[in-house]
Parts: sequence; C-alpha cells; structure tokens
Amino acid sequence: MKADMNGMMHRRAMLQRCGLGAGALGLHGLLHEEGLLAAPAADPLAPRKPHFAGKARRVIWIFVNGGQSQVDTWDYKPELARRHGQTLEGFDRFTGFFANAVGGLMKSPFAFARHGQCGKWVSSIFPHLSRHVDRMAFVHSLYTESNNHSPALFMMNCGLPRMGFPCVGSWVTYGLGSESRSLPAFVVMSDPRGRGLPKGHAANWGAGFLPSVFQGTHFRPQGEPIDNLKRPQEMSAAQQRAQLDLVAGLNRLHHARHPGEGELGARIESFELAYRMQVAAPEALDIAQEPESIRKLYGLDQKHCAHFAAQCLMARRLVERGTRFVQIYSGGMENQLSWDGHNDIAGNHTGFAQESDQPTAALIEDLAQRGMLEDTLVVWAGEFGRLPVAQKSDKPGRDHNPHAMTAWMAGGGIRGGTTYGATDDIGHKAAVDRVHVNDLHATLLHLLGMDHEGLTYRLNGRDFRLTDVAGKVIRPILA
Amino acid sequence: MALHILSLRCTLLAAVTAAATAAPLPPDHAARLVRGAELFQREVRATLLQHCHQCHGGDATKGGLDITTRDLLLKGGESGPVVVPFDAAKSRLYRLAAHLEMPGMPNKAPKLADRQIAALAAWINDGAPYDKPLVGTGAAAAGRLVTDADRQFWSFQPLNTTPAPAVRDAAWPKGDVDRFILARLEARGLAPSAAADRRVLARRLHLDFTGLPPAPVVVEAFVKDTAPDAVARLVDSLLASPHYGERWGRHWLDLARFAESHGFEQDYDRPHAYHYRDFVIRALNADMPFDQFVQWQIAGDELAPGNPLALMATGFLGAGVFPTQLTEKEFESARYDELDDMAGTMGTAMLGLTIGCARCHDHKFDPIPTRDYYRLTAAFSRTIRSEVELDLASETHAAALAAWSAKRRSLDDQLAKFEAVQLPGRFDVWAKKAAGEWGALFPWLVLDEAKVQSLDGSTFTPQADGSMLLAGKNPNTDRWVITTLPLQGTLTALRVEALADASLKKQGPGRADNGNFSLTDLRVFAQPADGSKPRARVKLTRPRATFEQNAGGLSVASSIDADARQTGWAVDPQFGKNHAAVFEFDGPISAPGGVVLTLELDYFTNTRHVIGRPRFSVTTVPSPAPLAGGMQLQSILTMARLAQELRLTRLTDAQRFALISMNHPLDGAWKALCKALEEHDAARPKPVMTKVQVCSEGVKPMKHHADDRGFPHFYKEVHFLRRGDSAQKGDVAQPGYLQVLTRGGKDETAWAAPLPQDTTTSHRRAALARWITDPRHGAGHLLARVIVNRLWQHHFGRGLVGTPSDFGAQGEKPTHPELLDFLAGELIRNGWRLKPLHRQMALSAAYQQAATFDAVKAQGDPQNTLHWRHTPQRLEAEVIRDSVLSVSGRLDPALFGPGTLDEASRRRSIYFFVKRSRLVPTMQLFDAPEPLVGQGARPATVIAPQALLFMNSPQVRAAAKDLATALQKSAASPAQSVPASYLAALGRAPSPTELAASVAFVAAQEAAYRSSGRADAAHLALADFCQALFGLNEFIYIE
Repeated sequence: MKADMNGMMHRRAMLQRCGLGAGALGLHGLLHEEGLLAAPAADPLAPRKPHFAGKARRVIWIFVNGGQSQVDTWDYKPELARRHGQTLEGFDRFTGFFANAVGGLMKSPFAFARHGQCGKWVSSIFPHLSRHVDRMAFVHSLYTESNNHSPALFMMNCGLPRMGFPCVGSWVTYGLGSESRSLPAFVVMSDPRGRGLPKGHAANWGAGFLPSVFQGTHFRPQGEPIDNLKRPQEMSAAQQRAQLDLVAGLNRLHHARHPGEGELGARIESFELAYRMQVAAPEALDIAQEPESIRKLYGLDQKHCAHFAAQCLMARRLVERGTRFVQIYSGGMENQLSWDGHNDIAGNHTGFAQESDQPTAALIEDLAQRGMLEDTLVVWAGEFGRLPVAQKSDKPGRDHNPHAMTAWMAGGGIRGGTTYGATDDIGHKAAVDRVHVNDLHATLLHLLGMDHEGLTYRLNGRDFRLTDVAGKVIRPILA
Repeated sequence: MALHILSLRCTLLAAVTAAATAAPLPPDHAARLVRGAELFQREVRATLLQHCHQCHGGDATKGGLDITTRDLLLKGGESGPVVVPFDAAKSRLYRLAAHLEMPGMPNKAPKLADRQIAALAAWINDGAPYDKPLVGTGAAAAGRLVTDADRQFWSFQPLNTTPAPAVRDAAWPKGDVDRFILARLEARGLAPSAAADRRVLARRLHLDFTGLPPAPVVVEAFVKDTAPDAVARLVDSLLASPHYGERWGRHWLDLARFAESHGFEQDYDRPHAYHYRDFVIRALNADMPFDQFVQWQIAGDELAPGNPLALMATGFLGAGVFPTQLTEKEFESARYDELDDMAGTMGTAMLGLTIGCARCHDHKFDPIPTRDYYRLTAAFSRTIRSEVELDLASETHAAALAAWSAKRRSLDDQLAKFEAVQLPGRFDVWAKKAAGEWGALFPWLVLDEAKVQSLDGSTFTPQADGSMLLAGKNPNTDRWVITTLPLQGTLTALRVEALADASLKKQGPGRADNGNFSLTDLRVFAQPADGSKPRARVKLTRPRATFEQNAGGLSVASSIDADARQTGWAVDPQFGKNHAAVFEFDGPISAPGGVVLTLELDYFTNTRHVIGRPRFSVTTVPSPAPLAGGMQLQSILTMARLAQELRLTRLTDAQRFALISMNHPLDGAWKALCKALEEHDAARPKPVMTKVQVCSEGVKPMKHHADDRGFPHFYKEVHFLRRGDSAQKGDVAQPGYLQVLTRGGKDETAWAAPLPQDTTTSHRRAALARWITDPRHGAGHLLARVIVNRLWQHHFGRGLVGTPSDFGAQGEKPTHPELLDFLAGELIRNGWRLKPLHRQMALSAAYQQAATFDAVKAQGDPQNTLHWRHTPQRLEAEVIRDSVLSVSGRLDPALFGPGTLDEASRRRSIYFFVKRSRLVPTMQLFDAPEPLVGQGARPATVIAPQALLFMNSPQVRAAAKDLATALQKSAASPAQSVPASYLAALGRAPSPTELAASVAFVAAQEAAYRSSGRADAAHLALADFCQALFGLNEFIYIE
C-alpha cells in the first residue's frame, strides 16, 4: 500500500520534471492533455495477503552449512560421555560418507552449561547465543532423507532431496510478495572468505519452476553485490534522469496508442523503481551508517567474525527496509571450509561458532531492541546433523547423520525457551516427536500466515507444494 | 465361488496368525473372517479408499500409518496399533472415525455416515480382513485398468475430421483456419479486428519466425510490395532463413530442459552436449518431419545408427540433471530418478501428459496407472549418457574422398600406361648399357646370387631387395660363410648392411632381444673364377659405418681387429633402422674371368647377437667408397647380360616381362610415378571425428565420482516400485505403453520389429518411438495435437489449449477443438512437416489482424481466446538480447558449435552455454526457465531489475554506442540520425512529437557532456538516445 502511494507521488513528480526540460515540453503538453497515468500494475512482487494473520512477516535464516553436530552444540547428551569409546552395536556404517572410518562413540569435546530461565544446556562454543535461549525454540528431533550434502541441502531448502524445486525463500516471496519495491525480495549471502558456495550452488536459492522473479538474489561475495546497479561511468545522475524521462515520455505516448495493456504501464513504472533501486540498494547495504555501538555489538571490530557480522547487519537493514527473506550461509563448501567437521570436530566447530556466535546473537538482540523480533523469524538450521560415533582421524571428527539434527527458531510467533522432540540417549536418531523437514517448512509457512497445503503452484497439470505431500505444523513451539 | 472363499480363508488365516499374536483368536474366527472379507469387498473397501487412503497410504502416510494392505494396517502408525482384530471398541481406527477419540477422522472433513462407521466396526469385529490390497502396490501391480470409457476424454480420442464451418462474412477468411475462428466469433456476435499495418506485420513476422527485427530496407520493400502474394513470399523467405531454427529451436529446448551441466553438487560441465541443441536447429531448418524428429530423440541411435544427426538427437534423453556425488545408498534411487526424468520429459514435451505423477500411485486425474508408468519407463532401463566420436561432416568427407579417389585412379592409370608403353623400351636401352661396365650405372652391386651358409643352424630367406631374412633357430653364437658368383669389374670395397625388419625384435636390425647385433669378426677371401690363382685373404681397411655403438670394442673397426672372439660392430640404441658398414679392399681386385669372393662372418661377442636381415654388396668406386648410393642386384645384371647375349628379340614374352619387372624398381621415371602415388595415398582424406554426447545402450558411460565404488550407471531391468521407493521392489516391468493411448486392440507387440543384425541395443526405445508417432493405434494423434498447439501458442500468444503441456483432465479444454484437430490432421497429411503448418497459420487473416485493444470486446473475452485481435506479446529473453545485438550491428550470426558463458559474446543467445549453477543473468531476468523440468510456457514478468539492465548493463551501453557510431557515419545531424535509429530499432519513422522530443534530448545531453569537458559529447549524447530506444516498450513488445 505504502509502495503504491510512493509510485503515484513519484509519477507526478516525474511529470513535473519532464516539463522542465526544454525538449520535453511538447511531450509534456501532450501527456498532460491526454491525462495519462499507467494502468494498475500486475507486479508479481506486490505484497499479498497471507491465508491468515501470521505472526511473522519476514525471515532471516542462518544456514549452518555443512551440517552442525547436534551433540556438540544444542543437544546435550551426558549418556554419550558415559559411553565414550564404546562400539555402537548395530550401527549401519553406510550412514555417513566414510564407511571405513567409523570409530567408537565419542563424547563432545565441549563443556555444556545451563542457561536462561528455561535452563537450556548449551555448548561452550556459543557464549553469546546462549544468552538468548529464552527467545529460542529448539527442535531436537529433526531428521532428513539424505546423507549427502547436496540432496540434503535441496531437502532443507526446497523440500525434496532432488534438484529442480523452488526453495523456501521463493515459495515465501511467491506467497507474500515483497514489502519493498526498491530492494530484492529474497536475498542470499554466501561465504565472503573465498571458501566457496554450498553444494548444489544456485539450485539452493532457485525458483525451480516458479517464475524466475521469485528466485533468490545472490549477493556477489566480492565486488558489486547486485548486477547493473551502477549507472554508466560517463553519465551524470542528471543525464541519466533526463534519459529516463525521455524513455518514460516516449513510452507514455506509446501506451496512449495502446490503451488497455496493463503491462505497458507496469513497465513504465519499473523504470522508476529501478531508478530508486540504484539509490536504495547501496543505502541498505551501507553498514558504515550504523553507530559504533551497533557495529561493536555485531562484532565488526573482531577479525574472526567481522565478515559474518557485516552480513547479519546487512540482513537486518534489508528486512528493516522491506526485504522478505534473507538467507546467510555460515561456511563455504565442505570439509574444513564449512561446518562439515569430518576431521577435528573440536577445531572445526570452535572456528565456525566463533565466526557466527556473536553476530547472530547481536542480530537477535538488535531486532528485539527495535521491536522487530516479534514479527521477524530467525531460523538456525543446516542440512543434516552429525554422528555420535567418531570419524577416525588424527583429530577425530564426525560424519554425516541424516537421522537427527537440531534446529532452532526465534522471533515472530515462536514460543521462546521451548524444546520440542528428542533424540535417543546418544543423539544418534530422532526418537521422540520426530520432525520431518517438511514439518519444519510447514511450521515456517504457518508462522508467516500460510497454510502449507494451500500454497501451491500448478505446473504441467500438477499442483506442487513446498511440503510435497506431507508436512505437519509443530504447534507446541508456537507462541 | 466356494473355492474362492476357501482359498481366501487360507490366506486370511495365514495373515492373522502372522500379524495378530497378542490376543487369542475367537473360536469362530474362520467364519468371521470370511464374513468380514465379504463386508470389506462390499462396503469397507470403498470407505477406506475414499476417505482414509489418500493420507494413509496414497499420497502420504500421515502419522506413519499406511492402510494399503492388511499387514500394514495391523502394523499401525507412529502412535501404535490402530486396529485390534475382532475388537472394534479397542481399535483406534474405529474410535477416531466414530469421533469417540480426537482428532476425529477423516481429518478436516465431515464425519463418516453412521452406516459407514457401523460397517467399519463390524468389519473389525470380524478380524478386519482384506480380499486384496486397497490399490495396486506396484509389487503386485494390480493397478487400475484403463477402459474404453477413459479413452473418451477429448485428447485421447482419435482426431475429428470436422469440415470448416460456414461463415457469414465470406470475405474475411483467407483459408480454413479463418473459417473456424470466424465461426466462433460470429456465434458470439464479435467481429475480427482490421488487418495489421504492413510495418507492424513485417516486424511481427520477423520476430516471430527468426527472433530478429527486420532491417529497415526489408521493411520498406515489404511496405511497397503490393503483390497479392507479398506476405506469402515474406513468410517463405523467413521459413528458409537459418535463424528460423534458432528461434523455434529455443522453444523446444525449454521443453527438453536442455542444459550442458550435470547439476547437483559439482555441476560438472557436459562439454559435448551442445550437439543436441544443434540437432534441434538443423532439424527444424531442414523441416524434418515431426514424427521423425520425435523418433530420433527417443531412439535415433537405434533407428538410424549410421546418421550422426540421429545420434545427436538422443541428447534429449540425457539432458536432465544427475547427481555426481552419490553414496551407495543412493545408487539405485538416483537411477530411478533419472528414468523418471527421461519418461517424464518425454511425456510433458511430446504428449502433454504428466506421466511422472504415476510413479508413486495411479495418476489421480488421468488414466495412467502406476503399472503403465513402470512399463513405459522400462524402455529406458539400459539407456545411459555417453560420449562417442562421430564424423559430423560425413558429406564433406565423402566429397573429399571422391575427389581423392578420382585422382588416385588417374595416377594409377598413368603408372599402368607407363609400365605398358614406356618401360619395355627403357629396359632395352638399360640392358644394353648394363651389359657393359656396371659400375658406371650404379655404385653397388648386391650379391643376391651368393651362396649363404650358417655353420650353426641359422636359415636365410632371400628377399626381393637382395637381402636375406633370418628366422627360426637363433643360435647363441653363429658363423656364416658366403660365396659369390664370379664378379666382373675392378672391385674396391665390400658393404655389409644390417636392415630393419618388422619380424625382428624391436624391428632389428639384430636378432638380440633388444634388436642389437654384434659382428665379431669379418674375413674376405678372393680367387680368380678360372682358378688360375689360389684363394687369398683380402686385407680390409678404412672401415666406416652409418652408426657404431662406441669407438672401442663395439666399433666397426673392431670387426676387423686382431680380436676375433670378443669385440665387434654393434648399434645400440639405434634400433629399428637400417645400418651399413663399408670395408675397403687393401688394393683393387679383378681377374679377366671374374673374381669369386668368400666372406666369413663370426658372431661371438654376445649371445644371439646376429644380424637379422643382412645384405652384401661390392663396388668398383675408387676410395673412399660411399656408404649409400644406387644399387642393382647381381641377378638382374646376369639376366640383362644373358638377354643381351641371347638378343632380346628371342626371349619369350614371359621371360621378357619377368626381366622388365625385375628391373623397373630401378627406373627413375617409374620411381617418380610411384612416389607420386605413395604421396597421394598418404594424403587420403580422413574424417574429422567430433565428440558428441548421446544416449544409448551398451556404450561407455560418462565418468562418475562413484565409478570406483561400483556405481553401475544402470540396472538391466526396471521393477515395479511401491510408492516409488527403490527399496520396495516388485516384479520386473516388461516394456509397454500407456493403455489409454493404445487402441484398436493392440498391445506392445504391434510396434516391435525384428532386431537388426549386429545391433548392440535392445530396441525397446525404437518400438516406443514407433508407438508414440503412430496416429492410428498409438499416441500419434495426441502427439500431433500437442505440437500443433505449441505452434499456435507461439504464433498467437496463447494455445488453443491454454495448458500446452497438460492435455489431461487437469488441463484446459481447447477453445477451438475442431480447429485443433483440423490442424493436427493437416500436419499428418503434410507428412508431419511443420513449415507448411507455420505458413498456414501466418497466412491466416486471424494472425494478420491488428493488435488493437477494444474495451467492449475485451469485456466479453478478456483473454482473447476467440482471437478477435492479435494478442501482443513481450519478447523472450533471447529475442530481446538478440534484437539489441542486431540493431546495433554487433550480432555475430554464426550458427552452431560450443556455447559460451561470456555475456559479452556477440552470438545469438541460444549459443549461451547452459550451466545449471551459472545461468546467464540476463536470460533469467527475462524469465528464461531454469532447465530442470520441461516447460511449455514462459511467464512475462515486469520487474525493476529488467529496467536496471537497460539503464546500466555494460552490454546494452556498448550496443547503444555502436549504434550511435553507425548513425554518425551515415547521418549528419540528430535530425537525421533519430529517424534512422527509429527505423533500425522499431521499423518505423518517429512521429513529429517523438522526433522533436528526441532531437531536443540529444541536443541537451550533448550540451551537458560538452560542459563537462567530453570531446565525444555528440557521440555520447546519441548513444544515450539509442539506449533510450532499447528501453522503449515498443522495442520489446510485438503487436
């Protein structure tokens, strides 16, 4: 609604400007005479009402890329420490990737302590996030369908372990549109330290068969984050403005000859949006504007986490300005480049926790102090968990585990300080109140006011959903 | 009936004992089970199917409960058992259905009727028996049967042959297409729009057929061309353009989910996949019959194995994604996914049917049972992606080969003629001379008539060149004695050659394992032939060789040194080559009646180090004797002399011919002719082999990460799977087709053909290809309808069927069913050629209407489904970019070949390399689909980043500058260049208002650039204007 108003205002302002140019004088007269205004635009990204009033309006998803180990982070397993070194009887050695490196049960290298009013046990690698456990709802019984990175990434992002389906961010923007027309609706940020893209690359934020306007805008990790945002070097702002005025004027003449074509009006409008985007997008990403206190809060002054702090801060600025969905990948590709701790689980997880702990905690705190946490959903989840048995190595690690992982959510519509479901005594498999990835997606859509069975897209005669043919909202974690 | 119940009872009892162990069975359980089974058949089955199964076994197994079979039902769900046999009151199934417990079932649906609930209870109380599973489980593959009633659905029916209807306005129709259109319009009281302006039509036709805007001269010529067939000629020329295939090929590539990388984790490139894209373009340009086009994509390797184009076509099957990182657990399921992709893409692209829906359950809306799905998929069971070497330019090669062969024949003729006509005379001349002093004609006389003897058992075989080849026994040490015939002339030196030969180890020249030899000692004796003097040892001096192993004990000198047991000439490592050594005589040797030489050669230096192919020659050349030079066989000389003495005329023809043949290898002219022939043979044209990605059987699979872990790439047979799960296999699925598209009582055997000899494939796909293109008994009628509709869709902006890839029950019904069938019939009658169909559509009055909007008509038919005007269309991503390149003169029109990821490329956009993880941003921006599943229609979104592209993209800016440069060359001022640029970009002149505004804009921009000190202000200002033109709606919307 706000955006429409802006559009109208701007159109009037533009017409006035049009009149100022000597050359456009005749054009202006003509336009004025015919009283041209664009027909209502069929903007695919216009904000849309959800199925029902959801508590969350936007999402920031910290994607714990590579697969975090639940027993070393949020899922405290004293029994695992007691059985340290024992062989896990009946274990299917093909559960992970390295069938020939399966070791005995391995306790967590990290100390656990209780935090918050809810008394949640948290690993020592999250000194900052552990202060916010009363804002988080933990799902310990989450499981997935693949033991392999890219299918599991597709599963977590797109709801099926196969390639070619729209991701959750695309479904959400398809369902709700965008609240900003001068910023991308769905933004993805990947590792800026040159450690690569998550396995499966762009398919993780692809729109699949949805119109491509719903795909994630992947910010380039280095250089200009968005294509075509800078005007040609030799042109001044005024010259480009004059050029756009000419385009608009000529397009209006054309539209006048072709009434009844709404698309033509929409396209005239799109140039004005683009013009604004040139200013709005760099402004949104300009974290230098933030006060020192905020910069410090996120950890921009800390070498080990400055890159992730910048991404979290950009995410906040984007959602503040109307971006619907932001996904930030913690870590790059695989093995030591991400949370994929096949070797040295202690070193691996310490490092990636250090990168993300303070910035993510700051994001929650910052959103809360701005009153935005109540309608912003923060998700922390990766593609799968890790095994309670060691992956043999000089410094032992842990292999992939599709049977159990922990995800937490905070903010919009989440009942803080809750824990849902449980794994078995050693954290190997989801055991109590098992949650499928489709259920997590159903819950996320529900929080945004959408019925996951009602959010469909028809392709080649079939109605597709994010949750395929399954999905069940996890009601106990809802506020 | 009694029998049936009896057997049923046995099965049921077995099931009961196995599954329900907890509660004791009631004494009358057998009778109750029989009664229960009857109730199940009569009533309960329908209730369960209609109200429960969809969530519990059909689409889903909510709560982990699957009620498809009795075993599964008794197993229960996540929260435990749902049925206690013989006790409804304790069974949750009943309690939930009766709303005695919450949540009441069925979930989110009205409560079951009391009668149904009562039946459920009675059935459970009778042990909850099943007569058979609720649906075909794949494993059992009972599945639904397809009946003639299913074949009554409009798209499955044979083509209708309704004649074109009568119309009131007989002047408007240009043909039958228009009569079908007009009849519907008239029925609704609507009139068609006026004909489009000629300029508009020229632009529409060009962009529609070739995807490139017309050149201004072409537009002007067309506008002036008032002949009645002007449009037809333009259409024909556009259909003949190579750019037609590029434009329409792109539509097909969307359907084929064409890409050039694997997708998934590594997204490796498929560098030879572009040949499929080239096949599509070539086939369309050549107007390949559509049935053949389809057949080759399914089974080109089987139907035309010798045709490279047919092999390129099979790229269709393998264009889908495939994971390159697989765990053992994923091997088989990944393969089933791949088969699903092949069958599914074939289904949507060619038949407009969602076959893939039947993978897990019978298709909900269309009569495609799971059984049909797996039987259809079985055609692809052994088909894999492979890279093969093909001769793509076989015609060019054939032409080159023909030219070469002609030349070869003429060289052959020359030689034959020379041998027949000139050689005999030349021999006579030679023979006269040879009878004299041979040393004047050639330096070396080869001692081929000498007697050769080994004292240690070696055997010698004389060769045509005068050498001897050793074979058989290879003694450790050896001694040779060679005795010549009498030799004329003044002899000065002996030459010993050691020749290479393919039969020797390392090709010799020695017989040692490494190809070496070592001549330990060489002695020469001479005696006058008449015996006038005793035999005397000849002293050898000045030894020389082409190569010697060292300067000491293996040098050539060491063969004639004092050491006759150890040292001797050797040639390591120069193996496989000819070697020669020359030993001069201490003084010239001659005798009036000739001299007989005896040579003694010893081999003691090393075991089996004997020369493998020796040749001995003498010379009369004074010192220093040459190592090389011409030679002649002593035998020829002897013959020549004899011939001379006998007088040639007295020889028989055979004798004379033999002599000539023996001599002619020494004739210079003959040798020159032979050399020319040899050189020509060496230049025989070879086919240029190109690597092509194909799909076939029995070929080498493309490399895969899991190859070393035993990834099989395919499994010989396809099994029926339960719920699409490869861990739940049923029987082997024998190849078969969709029953609903098979009529006339035929089954799959109707399309089988005897296997060709030497085939390496199963020809399952070849049969499938025949079925899918058979309009009488197979799917050909639907195939024709679907492609006709796609052509219509792209020409008219909307298909006659609005869901171009769904002709099933969920799809839209055709707006003009008779027209669709008429055109499908036309296609088949025209031999499945598409170009006549394009022509028919484009030459219709319906197509040539103006796009003028009419609010009144729009109210009744907002979608323009009746075609009361031409529907305006936004150009596709490729056409937008190609238009910018074309108008600015930057377009590189080269066809075919490998693609590129470089956005700065100047080739048409269809030649972008399609890498799934790096799709070209400009293409995506304008709605090019992700190549993951086949798509039949693209959206046309309007979003701000598209405008940003026109404003700021370096490519658009560069094009604007190039256009400005071209305009500056031909036009003196903006007042001239503005109209020229309008013609180039939009095919029309600007209106006075547009011209005035544009000229003023250019002037203002120029002034601004000048004031900021730019020397190229005029050029930049004009470029700003050209860029603005690209941003116009008129540039990217066709009327």
